[in-house]
Amino acid sequence: MINKILQDRVYSLGLVLVTTALITSLVFPSTFPTFENFSQILLNLSIDTIVAVGMMLLLISGAFDLSVGSIVAFTGCFTAYLMHFFNIPVPLALAAGMLSALCIGLTNGYLIAYQNINPMIQTLAMMGIIRGCALLVSGAGIQNLPYWFNAIGQSKLLGIQMPIWYMLATVGIFTFLFNKTIFFRRYYYIGGNEKAADLSGIHVRKMKMFAFMISALLAGFAGILLSSRLGAALPTMGRGLELRVITAVILGGATLTGGYGKIPGALLGALFMGLIANIMVISRISGYWQEIILGLILIATLWLDKYLQRKYSAIS
Amino acid sequence: MPHIVLSHITKQFPGVKALDDVSMSIEQGEIHALCGENGAGKSTLMNILSGNLQPDNGGIFLDGTNLRFSNPQQAFAHNIAIVYQHLSLVDSLSVAENIFANQQPVNKWGIIQFDALNHQTSLLLKQLNIEEISPRTLVAELSPAQRQMVEIAKALSKQPSILILDEPTASFTDKETRTLFDILKTLKKGGASIIYISHRLEEIFVLADRISILKDGKHQGTFNASELKKDELITKMVGRELKALRAGSTRTTETLLVVKNISGSRFSNVSFSLHQGEIVGLAGLIGAGRSEIARAIFGIDKIRSGEILFHDKPFHADHPAAAIRERMAYVTEDRKNQGLFQEMTIEENIVAASLPFVMKSGFYDRSKARQISADSKNRFRMAASDLQQRVINLSGGNQQKVMLAKWLLTQPDVLIIDEPTHGIDIGAKYEIYEILKTLAAEGKAILMISSELPELLGLCDRIIVVKKGTVVGEVVPPDMTEEKVIRLAT
Repeated sequence: MINKILQDRVYSLGLVLVTTALITSLVFPSTFPTFENFSQILLNLSIDTIVAVGMMLLLISGAFDLSVGSIVAFTGCFTAYLMHFFNIPVPLALAAGMLSALCIGLTNGYLIAYQNINPMIQTLAMMGIIRGCALLVSGAGIQNLPYWFNAIGQSKLLGIQMPIWYMLATVGIFTFLFNKTIFFRRYYYIGGNEKAADLSGIHVRKMKMFAFMISALLAGFAGILLSSRLGAALPTMGRGLELRVITAVILGGATLTGGYGKIPGALLGALFMGLIANIMVISRISGYWQEIILGLILIATLWLDKYLQRKYSAIS
Repeated sequence: MPHIVLSHITKQFPGVKALDDVSMSIEQGEIHALCGENGAGKSTLMNILSGNLQPDNGGIFLDGTNLRFSNPQQAFAHNIAIVYQHLSLVDSLSVAENIFANQQPVNKWGIIQFDALNHQTSLLLKQLNIEEISPRTLVAELSPAQRQMVEIAKALSKQPSILILDEPTASFTDKETRTLFDILKTLKKGGASIIYISHRLEEIFVLADRISILKDGKHQGTFNASELKKDELITKMVGRELKALRAGSTRTTETLLVVKNISGSRFSNVSFSLHQGEIVGLAGLIGAGRSEIARAIFGIDKIRSGEILFHDKPFHADHPAAAIRERMAYVTEDRKNQGLFQEMTIEENIVAASLPFVMKSGFYDRSKARQISADSKNRFRMAASDLQQRVINLSGGNQQKVMLAKWLLTQPDVLIIDEPTHGIDIGAKYEIYEILKTLAAEGKAILMISSELPELLGLCDRIIVVKKGTVVGEVVPPDMTEEKVIRLAT
């Protein structure tokens, strides 16, 4: 039982989360354990988590994407641009926005999988290019977006903001897909040993390209959601998001070498970061400390993990 | 007084006692062979002697002094050098820089003297009879055998008084093995103690003065090589008599696979055919192009010209997935890098290649995966506590069984198997032979690539010999002999 908790980050991080939340509830009984506070925490991390699900997929397959933050900005701006300047109907603009995200993912994926460009370099370059494109289409930002567009991110269902529902749906759907479909389970094999996966009849290149496309689609969806929630599309949206998301996913149990990680880990990692940020706000710790503390937590987590692995795993 | 004494060494890993109260001594100027099946504890013992691992109990005595190494550098300071089974070279650096890693000759300002470095390296390479390698060559450009030689040169550069070699000849041809033996004998005359681990028992009897045997982490005794017979040694290692291979061919006249004049980047004009129920050997020196032919047929590498008929229909695989669909399987020789998902479980490895067949709906069925891998585990008698164990923790023999199980689930008609007994212990070898015999009897055609001629001769219906990328002949009974194959191959 203890072994299982230690070995599976979803359980160990879940346990840490519950413990942290319980202790904080005892220390701040009036401000922390309230419905408003919890839904605020979840709302704040909903965009990150949707992107993190795609990043988890990539890390499982042994790659990562630094351009997701820029894709968030570009998709939001491009969709807004179409609606605002060309009066294109909302559904059509949404489709075009998602399609643009898909094309960016396709470009990344094709160059990385078929032309063997290093993922870090490719997505680093794309991060700059796409951010520039977002500035080109939106200038300083686009406001006065159509009502129906703003409704996507600003409405509520059962008293809970829509972005939280979208986040839960994304996590739920991808958890199901990774557990239950052969297509997604292939990513564990690819991350585990790319050559062996190829020899086992898995079309590794194609699958890698798809991974970047799926991740870009999720980032695109997050971008649309974010600008809808803000009621404006800003070219600065999602700045630093890529590193925040990678941090969350690594906290959630992924490794940079691939083969490890579960989709719920992406949610738990983001939740953990959101919780820490929230506790610091409640306890009035200066915002400067947030990044320092998060960095320390990340290092401590990975160090502890290595230490426990050394102690508990069998070496033969 | 013995040079090295290992006294009551015990090492416990989670779930397994790797070494149990092992005591042995090694004299100055002797070649001491260490024998045992995979998982017997040989590598663990040598890792303790070289400072990579620390014993839970017991001690190391060097010329009577009790020593405790907490890292390899300390062992190195006592002139203990180890040649690793898994290579420890940096691809992007030159041969010279690899050999003198972290001990490059420097001037008084601490600047590396490359002329001296290259000169010292060429002297070492000359001693090792591999003058065709330049000290400036990048390790990435070397063949596996040459890399192993560089690895040995690296250990020798430290002028060790104790040299440990773990399976040094796994990638060697006879010529390289002879060179190595000459070097070891020279070192021995110079007073060095050499500990030699190998699965190739013939080598041990040629080389060793004394033989120590480990079984399941326990010391079974140390014997003079001249007084021990090979059969006795095997019996002591495995603890049971080995039964002879099942005799009799199951070959039929039904042709399954016809290869006509295929050429690729490293072979040309290769033709042969496989019949239902037969095992055909593919022999040749390392680098002759055996694996390359197999890889091209299976769709990993490209075929430039020629034709393949499979089930009497033209067959062309542009990716392994296509070959698998047509019921062909290829078990690679490189278990670690290309065959296994080492960090994944036995279950995940076993179902890896057959998911689209056993779960046709596209949905992953965990209970089905569990059931078919449990069946495979029983069928192949894998020694593993449970299916959720990671394959990295299995012995070589069990890893090979996992690969075989994975490929048999794709229900192949033609099975190409590349060095199936490379680096695995004798007990497991015979089990693999039995499995291959059974598969042939079930009507599959098996193409077996192997560098161990005795196993090809014992198992195959006929042997195709490859040399420099082309088929130079076929050896068939009644005169299927080692001499004949070697004469064709060299």
